[in-house]
Amino acid sequence: MLRLINIKRRLGDFALADINLEVSDGEYYVLLGRSGSGKTQLLELIAGLEHPDTGSIILDNEDITRQRIQDRKVGIVFQDYAVFPHMTVFGNIAYPLRARKEDKKSIVEKVEKAATSMNIKHILDRSTEKLSGGELQRVALARTLITSPRLLLLDEPLSSLDTSLKDDLKRLLRNLNKAGQTIIHVTHDYGDAISLAKRVGVIHNGKIIQEGSVDEVFNNPSNRFVARYAGIRNFFRVVISGENGLSVGVTEHNVKLKLNGVSAGRDSLLLIKNDSIVLTNEKPVDKELNVIKGKVTELIPSEFGMEVTIDAGEMFYINIITSDLERLNLVEEKEVWVSFPSKAIVVLSGTV
Amino acid sequence: MSRNSIFTWIVMILSSLVLLFILAPLVGMFIHTGGAQFLETVKDKEVHQSVWLTLWVSFTATLIFSIGAVPFAWLLARKKFPVKNIVQGIIDLPIVLPHTAAGIALLGFISRDGFLGKTASLFGLNLVNHPSGIALAMAFVSLPFLINAARDGFAAVPERLEKAALNLGASHTKVFFTISLPLAWRSITTGFVMMFARGMSEFGAVVIIAYHPMIAPVLIYERFSSYGLNYARPASVFFILVALLFLIALRLISIKRKEKFINTDAQTD
Repeated sequence: MLRLINIKRRLGDFALADINLEVSDGEYYVLLGRSGSGKTQLLELIAGLEHPDTGSIILDNEDITRQRIQDRKVGIVFQDYAVFPHMTVFGNIAYPLRARKEDKKSIVEKVEKAATSMNIKHILDRSTEKLSGGELQRVALARTLITSPRLLLLDEPLSSLDTSLKDDLKRLLRNLNKAGQTIIHVTHDYGDAISLAKRVGVIHNGKIIQEGSVDEVFNNPSNRFVARYAGIRNFFRVVISGENGLSVGVTEHNVKLKLNGVSAGRDSLLLIKNDSIVLTNEKPVDKELNVIKGKVTELIPSEFGMEVTIDAGEMFYINIITSDLERLNLVEEKEVWVSFPSKAIVVLSGTV
Repeated sequence: MSRNSIFTWIVMILSSLVLLFILAPLVGMFIHTGGAQFLETVKDKEVHQSVWLTLWVSFTATLIFSIGAVPFAWLLARKKFPVKNIVQGIIDLPIVLPHTAAGIALLGFISRDGFLGKTASLFGLNLVNHPSGIALAMAFVSLPFLINAARDGFAAVPERLEKAALNLGASHTKVFFTISLPLAWRSITTGFVMMFARGMSEFGAVVIIAYHPMIAPVLIYERFSSYGLNYARPASVFFILVALLFLIALRLISIKRKEKFINTDAQTD
C-alpha cells in the first residue's frame, strides 16, 4: 500500500501542497487534472525523481521518502516514453535485467516472455528510432514491468495514441490490474478516468480537491472544476431564501429554483445534472418539478445527437439524443419547457 | 528555380571571398611545391620522425586527458554548483592566452624547480625537452575544445533518459556508461578530434617546453628560419597531408563506433 502524508513541494511559482493519498494494493487509481495541475510532479515524487520539501512517502510500511530512485522498485512510464534511442527494442527491455547483472540466458527468456505478453516480439531486433507511438508505449511498459514493480506509475499513457490503439492499451492496462498490479495513472482525460479507475482523485493547482470512487466523485462533484470534468455545464450562482423546509434559490437573472431538502448558505453555486433535465413542447404538470419556459437559441451537433442551448432567463445547456430531437421537432427560436426535479440540483461547496 | 535577391548575391560573394582567403594560400603552397622536392621530403628521415612524433604525442595526450576531461564535461553539463561560471571561464582560459605565455607558465611548472618537474625527476624523468613535456603543452592549449564539445553533448542528452535508467534499477555509474556516454558520443568524438588536431598544430607553447625532439610545426619553423620559404614548403605540405589523412581516419572510426553502440545491445550480438 502507498501512503502520501502531507506532501509539500515547491517548484518556482508552483507548489504541491498538503497532498494526502492512499492507494491500496491491487488498486487502479486515476489522478485527473489539467496540464500544470501538478499531477506529473506528484508521480515524479513517488518515483523518487524529485524529493518533497516536507512530508512522507510510505510504501508497504517502509518510509521511502529519501530512498534512492534505483532502490524503490516503483516503475514509471513517462508520457514521452523515454525509450533509449541508441538501443534496440531488445536492449531497452533487457536494460533493467542487465543492470542487475542477470545471466544472458535468463535475460533472453524474460525479455521474450515480456515481449510476447505485450505483443511486440516481432520487433525485438529493431532500432527504436522508427517505431510508432503505440509500439514505443509497449516497449516502455514491457521494460518497466520486467522489473516487477511494487507500484506502476503511468504518466498520460493514452494521450498520444489514436482511438483503436487506445482501446487496446486500456484492455492491456485493465488486465494488468486484474492480475494484481497496483497502478497510479495520471491523465487530463475524463473518459480515461471513468473507463479505468477504481478510485479517482482530482488534482487542481497542486491540491487534490476531491477523491473517491468514480460514481462518488462525478455524481457528487464537490466543486465547479470537478463538475466541469464530468461535462456538466449548468451552473448557477443563487441567493437562497425560504422557510418551512421549502427553500428557493434566485439566480442573477431572477430565475427561481425550488430547492427541496437542499441545505445551503445564502450565496451558493448550484449545478443541475445533465441527464436530469428534460425538454418538452408541453408544460409538465408535475408540481414537484422545477418548470421554466424558454426559447431555443442554438443547436450544435454532438456525438450522440444535439446540444441544445435554451434561453430561459438563464442559459441552459441540454444534450438531446437524435430520436428525441425528431419527436420534439426542435428549431431555433422555438418555445419549449425545461424541467428538472429539485433532487437533480447539487450545491457546490467550492468556488473553483 | 527561384531567383536570388541582391542581398543573397552579396552574401554569396562575401562568403566566396572568405573561403578563397582560407584556400588560396594552401592551394598556392601545394602548387609551388615541386614533385621532386616533395618526394625528397617524403624520404627525409628527420621529417618522418617529427611528423610521427607530432601525431602520436598529440593523440596520446588527447587520450590520457580525456579520462579526466569527459567526466568533468558531464559534471559541467549536469550539476549545479556555486562557482560554475568561474570554472567555465578557467576552462576557456587557454584559448585566449598567448600560447608562448602558456608555454612559459607551463615551463615553470614542469621544469626541475617546478612541482610537477620535481615529482617527475624523482622517477628519473625530465619533462623539458621530452615527449611527455610536449604532450603536456599540447594538452594545455587544446583541452578546452574537448571539454566544451563533450559538455554540449552531455547537455543535449535528455535528462529524462538518465532518470528512466535509474528508475529501471541502474546505478549512476551504469547510467553514465550506458546512457549518457553513448548518447553524447558524437560530440565527444568531435571534441576528441578537435583537441587532437589543435594539439598537433601547436607551436608556441611546445617550442618553449621542447625545441627538441622536434614536432612538425617546430621543424617547419626551423627550416624556414634557417633555409627559407622554399625549403619549409614541402615539409608543410607533407605534414598537412598526413594530418588530414589521420583526421579523416579518426572521423570514420568514430562513426563506426557510434553504429557499434547501437548494435551491441541487439539480441544477436
